[in-house]
Amino acid sequence: MILFDLFILIFIMWIMIMIVSYFLIFIIGPLHIDIFHNSYDRLITSIVKALSAIGLVVVLILLLGILKTKYLQKILLRK
Amino acid sequence: MSAVSFLVIFFITPAFIKYLNKKGKVVVDYHKPGKPNVPRPAGPVLLIGIVISEIILYFLIQDIIIISVVLSTIIAFIVGYIDDRKAMPGWFKPVALIFAAVPIIVLGSHGNSLGLIFDSAFIPILYIPLILAIMPIVGNTINSIDVFNGVASGFIIITMMPLLVSVILFGNITVFLMALPLLFGTIAIYQYHKYPSRIFLGDSGTLLLGSMYAGLSIAGNSEIIGVIALLPAVMNSFLFLASVKKIVEHRQVKTRPVSISEDFKLVASKERSAPATLVRLILARGSLSEQEIITKILILATFSSVLAFISIVIQYFFMKGIISL
Repeated sequence: MILFDLFILIFIMWIMIMIVSYFLIFIIGPLHIDIFHNSYDRLITSIVKALSAIGLVVVLILLLGILKTKYLQKILLRK
Repeated sequence: MSAVSFLVIFFITPAFIKYLNKKGKVVVDYHKPGKPNVPRPAGPVLLIGIVISEIILYFLIQDIIIISVVLSTIIAFIVGYIDDRKAMPGWFKPVALIFAAVPIIVLGSHGNSLGLIFDSAFIPILYIPLILAIMPIVGNTINSIDVFNGVASGFIIITMMPLLVSVILFGNITVFLMALPLLFGTIAIYQYHKYPSRIFLGDSGTLLLGSMYAGLSIAGNSEIIGVIALLPAVMNSFLFLASVKKIVEHRQVKTRPVSISEDFKLVASKERSAPATLVRLILARGSLSEQEIITKILILATFSSVLAFISIVIQYFFMKGIISL
C-alpha cells in the first residue's frame, strides 16, 4: 500500500517535470521581445527567457516542497 | 569493452575484499544480527575495470568525449576516496564535485541544446552552469541512496536501461558504447554488493557511479530522461535537504530517520525533528526487514525507469513529427 502512495508521488513529480518542459518549449521558447528594433532586443529576449526558465524551476521546487509537506502530514505525522 | 569491465571487476573484487580485510579497512553493518564487519570501499575496483574498458574503447574510436567522461569519473572517484579516508564536512562533496564537470565543459563533450521531451531548448550559455550543477547533484543523489546492501548498484543497473535507449536515440553511438562498461561493471560489483554485502561501495564507489551516469546523460543529450529515471533517489535527496534545510552528512544528523528494533527490523522515527527520507516513508506503515526495504527501493527504481521509457517514446514521437501540439 505504501508503495502505491510512493508511485503516486513519483508520478506527480513526473507530471510536474512534463508540465515544466511544456512551458519551456511552447510558452517561453517562442517568446520574442521587440522594444528597440536592434540587436539589444535579442539580448533582452534571452535574459527574459533565462529568468523565466529559472523562475519556473524555482516554482517547481516550491511545489515539490508543498507536495512533500502534504504527503508527510498524511503519512508520517498521522501515525 | 563491456566484457572487459565485467570480467576485471568480477575477478579482482574477491582479492580486493581479502586485501581490505587484511588492512582492517572495514565498517560495521549495523542492520544485521551480530553486526558484521564489511570491507569498504569498492570504488578503486570499479574505477580500474571501467577505466581499462574506456581506454581500450578510446584506442578503437579515438573520440575526445571518452577522455572527458573518464576524467570526470576519476575526479569524482578522488573526491569520494578522500571522504572514504577522512570524514569531510557536509559541503565538501557537493563543492568538490563541481570540478568533475570541468573536463566535460573544457573538452566540449556537451551539446548546446537541452532535450526537454517536447523539443530541444537551445541554451549555449545557460547550459554551462547547468552542467556544473548536474554533476554534484547526481553524484550526491546516488551517494545518498546507498543506505542498504546493493541499493546504489542495483539502482544504477535498473536506471541505466532507459538511459542507454535514450542515448542511442537522442545521443550518439560513442556515448552508448561508453555507457556499456558502466552497466556491466556495475552488474559485476552487484554480485558482491547485493544483500548480504561482501563489500561496500563507499563514497568513492557511489560518487563514481553517479558522476559517470551524469556525464553520460550530458554527453548523450539525455539529461531529463536521466533525471526521470533517478526520481526516487532525487526525491530522497530532496526530502532530506528540505527537512534539515542545509547541506550536511547523514552521520551529522542528530535525530535518526529510522531505528533498528531488537529483531533487526527497521522502524520509522516518530520524532518530528527527524529528517524525512525515502526509507522513512517506506517504513511509515510499519517495520520492515532490510531485504524488504531493498526490494521496495528497487521496485520504485523500476517504476521511475518505466516513466523514463514513456518519456523517451513521447520525445521520439515529437522529434520525428509523429505528434505535434
